[in-house]
Amino acid sequence: MLVRSPVIAPQAPGTPTTPPAAAGAPILTVADIVKRFGEGQDSLLAVDGVSFSVAQGEFVSLIGPSGCGKSTLFNIIGGLAGSFEGRVAVDGQTVSGTHPAFGMVFQEESTFPWRTVIDNVAFPLEIAGIGKRERHERARHFVSLVGLDGFERRYPAELSGGMRQRVAIARTLSSEPRILLMDEPFAALDEQTRLLLGDKVLQIHQQLRQTTLLITHNITEAVQLSDRVLVMTYRPGTLKRAVGIDLPRPRTSEVVGSDVFGHYVAQIWNDLREEASRGIREDESRTLRRGEPQ
Amino acid sequence: MTLSGPAFRRFAAPALGLGTVIGAFAAVEGLIRAGVINRFVVPLPSQVLAAIPRIVAEESVPHRFWQTTQEALAASVLLVVVGIALGMLMFRFRLLRRACETSVAALASAPIVLMYPLFLVIFGRSGTTIVMIAFVAGLPPVILKTVEGLAGTRSVLLDVGHSFRLSKAQLFRKILLPAALPSIFVGLRVGLIFMLINIVGVEFLINFGGLGQLINELAERYDLPGTYGAILFVILASVLFFVVLERAEQWLLPRTA
Amino acid sequence: MAAAAYGLDFAAPARAQPLRVWALRAAIIAVLLAIWEIVARSGWLFQDVVPTLPVIARAVLRTLSDPAFYRNLKVTAGEIAAALVIGGTAGMVIGLMLGSSRFLSLAYEAFIHYVGPTPKIIFFPIMILWFGTGPGSKIAMGALSCFFPIVISVAAGMRQIAPVLVRVGRSFRASPWQMTRLVYLPAMRTPVVNGLRLGLGIAIIGTLLAETKLSNQGLGYLIIQSYATFDMPRMYALLIVLFVLAIGLNALLGRYAARDLSRPDMV
Repeated sequence: MLVRSPVIAPQAPGTPTTPPAAAGAPILTVADIVKRFGEGQDSLLAVDGVSFSVAQGEFVSLIGPSGCGKSTLFNIIGGLAGSFEGRVAVDGQTVSGTHPAFGMVFQEESTFPWRTVIDNVAFPLEIAGIGKRERHERARHFVSLVGLDGFERRYPAELSGGMRQRVAIARTLSSEPRILLMDEPFAALDEQTRLLLGDKVLQIHQQLRQTTLLITHNITEAVQLSDRVLVMTYRPGTLKRAVGIDLPRPRTSEVVGSDVFGHYVAQIWNDLREEASRGIREDESRTLRRGEPQ
Repeated sequence: MTLSGPAFRRFAAPALGLGTVIGAFAAVEGLIRAGVINRFVVPLPSQVLAAIPRIVAEESVPHRFWQTTQEALAASVLLVVVGIALGMLMFRFRLLRRACETSVAALASAPIVLMYPLFLVIFGRSGTTIVMIAFVAGLPPVILKTVEGLAGTRSVLLDVGHSFRLSKAQLFRKILLPAALPSIFVGLRVGLIFMLINIVGVEFLINFGGLGQLINELAERYDLPGTYGAILFVILASVLFFVVLERAEQWLLPRTA
Repeated sequence: MAAAAYGLDFAAPARAQPLRVWALRAAIIAVLLAIWEIVARSGWLFQDVVPTLPVIARAVLRTLSDPAFYRNLKVTAGEIAAALVIGGTAGMVIGLMLGSSRFLSLAYEAFIHYVGPTPKIIFFPIMILWFGTGPGSKIAMGALSCFFPIVISVAAGMRQIAPVLVRVGRSFRASPWQMTRLVYLPAMRTPVVNGLRLGLGIAIIGTLLAETKLSNQGLGYLIIQSYATFDMPRMYALLIVLFVLAIGLNALLGRYAARDLSRPDMV
C-alpha cells in the first residue's frame, strides 16, 4: 500500500529531476505491522498498522516525533524484535527474524571497543567464515568508502564519535546487505559532524545505489538524503503521510538551499508539529496522573 | 493463571530455584536409600534436618549463638569506632592518606586470617583472638570506604558551605559527613561481612567459641547428621545476618544517592 | 581481594609520589619497627612471642634457603592452582549461564548472592569425608571458596555488556558459539580478569586455612607446625613470605588487568 501525496512545490526551471522511484516490484514490503508491549491493562500499543514498501535503490526516511515507535519498527524489520502482527517481506518472500538481506546500523555506540577498525569492519565477514586475508581486503574497501583510510589499525577509543559511527556504517556495508536499515545513526553527533556524515551517506548511496531505510527525527536530514519521506504519527504509530522528494541528485548545497527544499521541510514540519505537540501533551497528562494520590 | 501470563512468569523462576533445591534433597535421599551414595559419607537429608532441632536442644545452641553474637558485637564496635576514626584521620591529613592508602588497599587483599596462629600465641585460645582477627580483617574496607566517601564529596557542595561561611566543624558535620554516609555504610557492610565470616571461621579453626566450635566438635565426634545439620544451621544464620545487614542499609540510607 | 566481590575495588591509581610522601612512609615504617624492637627486647610479652628483628630476619633467610620450604610451597601452589581451575571453570560457566538468561538468574542467583558471604571453611569436615585427608580436600575447599566470587563477577560482567553490542552480533546472525567467542567474552574481559584475581585471593585463603586445620604438607601445615613447636621466628618468617607472595601476586595480576585496560572499554 503506497500513499503518495501530491508534490506541491513548483520545480525550479531547468533542473533535472530524478526518475520516479518504485520502477518494478518493491524489494522491501512492510504490511500491517502492529506491535504491543506488555499485556492487558498496562500494555502499550507502540505501532498500529504500518504498511509501506521500498523499491530497489530507493532512499526512504521514516520520520516521527519521539515515542512514535520508529525504533520499534526498525527492530521489527531487522528481525530483532519479539513477536508482532503483520508481515515483512523481501522480494515478496515473507521473512521472520534476522535475514541476510538486511544490514542494521544502530543509534548507540556500537563498535566493538576491543577490535581495531579493520577488525570491526571485517566482523560480518568473519561471522560468514571468510578467511583472514580475504576479509581484511574486502573490509579495507569499505573502510576507504567511509573515508577512514589509514585508520585501519586504530582502536575505536582513539577515534571521535563521528568516526566511530563511520566504522559502524562500514561494518554493516561490508556485509553487502540488500537493504540498509539505519536507526538515527547521527543522533548522538554534533550538528557539523552530522552534516558531513550526511554528505558521506549521500555519496555512498550514489556509488552503491544502496537501498536504504533511514529512521530519523531530523527533517532537514530526511529531505536532504531521501527519495521519499514517510511521516509517522505519535503513539500508537501509524503512517500519517508519504512525501515524495522530487529533487535532483546529487543533492548539492545549491539544492539544499533552494526554495523547493524549504517547502518540503515546511510541509513535513507542519505534519510533525501536530504529532509532536500531541506527544508532549500526552506525556504531561500522564505525568500528572501518575503523581496524583490514588 | 495462563501458561504465559505475567503472574506465571513472576513465580516460575523462584519456583524453579526452590524446586531444584527440594528436588536435589529428594534425589540425594533416594540415592542414599538405594545404596548408591554411601550413607557414612553423606547422611540422609531427612536425618540432617532432624538433627537440627536435636542439636539446638542438646548442644545449647542458644548459648553458643549468644557467644558468637557477643564476639560479633565486640568486633563490630571496634570496627565502627576505629575504622571510621582512622578513615577520618586519613582524610583529614592528606599526606597521611597518600602515604598509607595503597598499603591499606594491599591489606584489604591480604589473607589476614592466615595469621590466626600468631594471634593464638599472643592472645591464647580465647574470644579475644577471635575478636581481634575479625576486627583486623574487617578494618581495611571500612577505612578505605570512609576516606573515599569523604574525599568524594562533590566540591560544589563544599562551595555552598563556604558561601554560607560555615566553620570547619560545621562543614564536616553538616556537609561532609552526610555526603560520605552512603559510602561509609557500604564499607561497613563489607567489613561486617568479613568480620562475621572470620569469627565463625576462626571459631571453627581454633575450636573455641560458639557456633563455629560446635561444628568442629560434632565433626570430631563423627556425628554425621549433626555435623551436616550444624553447618546448615550456621549457613542459614549467616544468611540471616546478611539479610539483616542489607535491610538495615536500605532503611538507614534515604534514597538520595 | 574479597572486597571486590561486594562491589569494592581498591586499585589505587599510580601517581608520581613526591619526596614528602616517601619520607612519611619511611618514617612510619621506622617508627613501627622501632616499637617492635623495643617490645621485643623489653621482655614485656612472653618470651619469643615478639622476637627481635634480627632474629626474624635470620629466620626469613633460613626459610628461603630451606628446601623443605620450597617442597611445601610447591604442594600448596599446586593445590591453589587446581582449586582455581576447578572453581574458576565452574564459576565461569555458571556465571555465563546466569548472566545471559534472565529466567535462570531469577531462579538461582539469589542462592549465590546469599550463600556467598558465609564462612566456607566450616564445610571442611565434609570435604575431608568426601575427598580424604590428602590434597583433595584442600583443593575442594579452595574451589568451593573461589567459586562464589567468580560466579558473581562473571554474571555481573555479562550484564554490563552494552546491549547494543549484543544486537550488533545478532543482526549479523552470529551463532551462539560465535556470540560467546567474539562478543561476550571480549566484552567481559575486564570483569572476568578482576573476578579471577579475586578468586585467586580467596582460593589462597581457603586452601591455606584447610592446610592449617588438617594436613601434613603445604605452607599452611608448616605454619601450624611452627605454632605447635612454638618456633615463633619460623612462624613469623613463613607468614612474612606468605604475605609478600600473596600481595605481590595480586599486584602483578592487577598490573596485567590494567594493561588490558589500556584499550579503554568505552562502553
